[in-house]
Amino acid sequence: MYLLVKQQRVARDNLDSKVFLEGLAGTGKTTAGIERVKHLLHAGVPPSRILVLVPQRATGLPWQEALRRSRAPGSAEVRVTTLGSLARELLELFWPLIAADTGCAQPLAPPRFPGLELSQFLMRRFVGDEIERRDYFRGVTISRNRLYTQIVDNLNKSALVGFPPEEIGTRLKAAWRGSSEQAFIYDDAQACASLFRAACLSHNLIDFSLLIDILRKQLWPLENARGYLTRRYRHVLVDNLEEDTPTLHDLLRDWLPLCDSALLIYDSEAGLRRFLGADPAQARSLQALCDLSVTLDRRRAMSEDVAALHHALAQTLGREAGPAPKRGVGRAALRWPARARWHPQMIDWTVGHVATLVHEEKVAAKEIVVVAPFMPDALRFALQARLDEHGVPHRSHRPSRALRDEPEVRALLTFARLAQHAPGLAPDRFDVAGALTTAIEAMDPIRARLLADALYRDGGLLPFENIRDARLQGRITFQLGERYDRLHSWLAQVPAELPLDLFFSSFFGEVMSQPGFGLHRRESAGATVANLVDSARAFRRLLTELDPAAPVAADYLRMVEEGVLANQYLRDWELDRSEGVLLAPAHTFLMSNRPVDYQFWLNVGSSGWGRRVYQPLTHPWVLSRHWDAGRKWLDADEEEAGAESLANVALGLLRRCRVRVYLGISEYGERGMEERGPLLLALHNMQRFLVPEDDDV
Amino acid sequence: MNLPEDFVFTQGNLQDYVDCPRRFELKYLRRQRWPASEVDDMEAFERHLEQGALFHRLVQQSLLGLPPETLRPRIEDDEVARWYDAWLANGLADVPSQRWPELTLTAPLGKWLLLAKMDLVAIAPDGRALLLDWKTGRHMPRAVRQAQRLQTRVYRNVLAQAGARLNGGEAIDPERIEMRYWYAQHEGEVLRFPYDEEKYRADDRFLRGLAREIDRCEDFPLTDDERRCRFCVYRSLCGRGEKPGPLAEWEGDEDMALPTDALDIDELDEIAF
Ligand code: SF4
Repeated sequence: MYLLVKQQRVARDNLDSKVFLEGLAGTGKTTAGIERVKHLLHAGVPPSRILVLVPQRATGLPWQEALRRSRAPGSAEVRVTTLGSLARELLELFWPLIAADTGCAQPLAPPRFPGLELSQFLMRRFVGDEIERRDYFRGVTISRNRLYTQIVDNLNKSALVGFPPEEIGTRLKAAWRGSSEQAFIYDDAQACASLFRAACLSHNLIDFSLLIDILRKQLWPLENARGYLTRRYRHVLVDNLEEDTPTLHDLLRDWLPLCDSALLIYDSEAGLRRFLGADPAQARSLQALCDLSVTLDRRRAMSEDVAALHHALAQTLGREAGPAPKRGVGRAALRWPARARWHPQMIDWTVGHVATLVHEEKVAAKEIVVVAPFMPDALRFALQARLDEHGVPHRSHRPSRALRDEPEVRALLTFARLAQHAPGLAPDRFDVAGALTTAIEAMDPIRARLLADALYRDGGLLPFENIRDARLQGRITFQLGERYDRLHSWLAQVPAELPLDLFFSSFFGEVMSQPGFGLHRRESAGATVANLVDSARAFRRLLTELDPAAPVAADYLRMVEEGVLANQYLRDWELDRSEGVLLAPAHTFLMSNRPVDYQFWLNVGSSGWGRRVYQPLTHPWVLSRHWDAGRKWLDADEEEAGAESLANVALGLLRRCRVRVYLGISEYGERGMEERGPLLLALHNMQRFLVPEDDDV
Repeated sequence: MNLPEDFVFTQGNLQDYVDCPRRFELKYLRRQRWPASEVDDMEAFERHLEQGALFHRLVQQSLLGLPPETLRPRIEDDEVARWYDAWLANGLADVPSQRWPELTLTAPLGKWLLLAKMDLVAIAPDGRALLLDWKTGRHMPRAVRQAQRLQTRVYRNVLAQAGARLNGGEAIDPERIEMRYWYAQHEGEVLRFPYDEEKYRADDRFLRGLAREIDRCEDFPLTDDERRCRFCVYRSLCGRGEKPGPLAEWEGDEDMALPTDALDIDELDEIAF
């Protein structure tokens, strides 16, 4: 591979040094890191001695792919992972040595890891009633799930930043200078966090925050556990150090002096995950522990024109812009829309241009990304439908529907209710008809409705022979009647106590996916049902341990109804390696760290660019290490944070663009309100920094 | 050509291909998830896999130096406790003291890689290399059959190709390699499979041929041995029956069926704030 001289200093030379590698996105830092791993391997370092740490799994994918493709000896054995995974491995291995000191009530019993979906359920179980009883969070108008998420987030911050969880409320209140209602909300957030933590400790439930807490307090100080990592991994590489948390930075402070070599990769203008506890300033302080610093400044991803555009926008946003590129016309890298008044027009304009690129200019669909500050389901769905009409392949950062809304999942949930024969669980007739339509091949909604009307009685199904009316039998047909009977007799024989996940697998395998039934050879349905089975299984395993007498199946079905469970896909989205146009929130695309040729920025007028998400229970800046105790969060801070976030996102996007950006703008936004957010203003202000182009657009 | 450039072969996916080419295609090329049951008694099956995972962790903890006095009192499952006692009694009998637990090694296989994840590799001062695998299944297969399993062929081959770094930079002579299966449910009985140059060459030819065949395979046929379909999740997709086979007759490999908890600890971004 061709490497610049500065990249070579990292990749080929200084293999026994600790190197701090800095540069903007798109300057070839990760490439240099991957090449360094290959050279270490060629130099005889065993792959089991090399560790690559990334802030999240998606950031590790380019490393894993490149290393699998490489011919360097043992390159596929190099471990690419996150702090969370390392922590869990240490905890599972060394639990017997530390359990008694963790505060967990059952140190002789094994730890349990609830994961994200079940953390929501646990919140509901441990904290939900208390919120009702004490009327917590009065006046806060966000969904219950988002409340839970922010309580979890506060606990995560306390662990990752390293302050006691009992201080969450005090810290938040100390920085607040508005109404007293908000101070009460912070008190409520504290009460819920404490309640949740206490419940986790009493059941040995190790959520992410407790895992990190135990890592800091028990595992890392334990020589066996620390040595397990530091003796094993002698060559450590960390990518996107600025997106990682103070906990990792603290560990590295101890670990680096023990390493044979290290490479810390730092993106100079990022900090995209600050709302998850990322701390760029802490990250930079590790430079002092390195033997050598290298800065990469030749942009490899951006074309000359995009580089000129980047320069102009950086100047507009008051960021260090460096010398103006000698060649390159910024305007040539930008497409403004013709005047669009309404949101659907903007979507049409976007999809029209995407289709032209793909069909006429033969651009590979995977070289195009459509981003927005947020990508709500409605927007994603509108884009998907219009792209389908134009025959443009696309992929999304997440599926277009909640798991529980998929027809096959709804059908399985309905049949599960029928099989339970439990009070309060009987489905309504409409759902039964819908389930029959999905489950039986060639069953149309009208026949399904006739069947449900005739045979759904007292919460259960009757056999087909119970239809005595020959005309009705004829309308439904005997062929469908026979399939219905197979389904019915399977349900009649299944034991009510069969765990729900096993009910789903068996009913799927033995009925719904068999010839004559609705999911036969429906491969995508198989993947969807697999997600449901995972969710129900994880729930059963956790709940039977928490409360062996609990009615697991009924509780699961209730939690699904409330939107606490089966809301997300647990596994598949990241496996979507299809080659379509990517539709994603800007932030998700940025963290995947893969430049593309063409970007479409939607809702450019939205105030969502450069504004914090509304988080009434938490505050990423105040709960960071840099916030001075007692300092108030002022409007000026809010403005500064917004400006920083806007610059990080907008410039970060440009640095991951090779050819051109299309701006999707409509006078009125999705909700019909006029929009003139900070990105739109910045882009207008930028015009004066752009050199006029002969052939202006 | 079917296989992507970065495809990694393992004993598991090769065994799947040998057992049924269609299964290989569905599982590794199309990554088809199909959540049907493997066996009739899934609760017992799941319990058994959990016991296996627990036992493997206990062994790994022991090899990391956690003493039996710490580990033993924590084992709630009597069966696992018995296995652990048996392992303490003879699991490491005549196993050299230079040990690499949970070792992953790779070697080239044609244009691709062949990966082996070994429970334990131990090297004696005289260069003798022992490869150990702990088995917790009910069945102890006949030696002739186990010798033909891809695990036996792949692991020894990979160690011969890629073991130099465990042996002071010297490649490990196939004549000095032995693979040993240790059976927990049979009081630690073992099956031993020594290796030699001739077997190494034969395995090498066989594995390369297999990789080429998979890459060129045009239609990935369904297996002729329909008994396999009884324990295969793709049964309904292939039109090979409705009901799963009885657990008592399951002879699969628990290493290939271990539950993988979907770990979402790295996916904090997925939280909808
Ligand atoms: S069901 Fe039978 S034919 Fe189909 S993949 Fe499984 S083993 Fe092969």
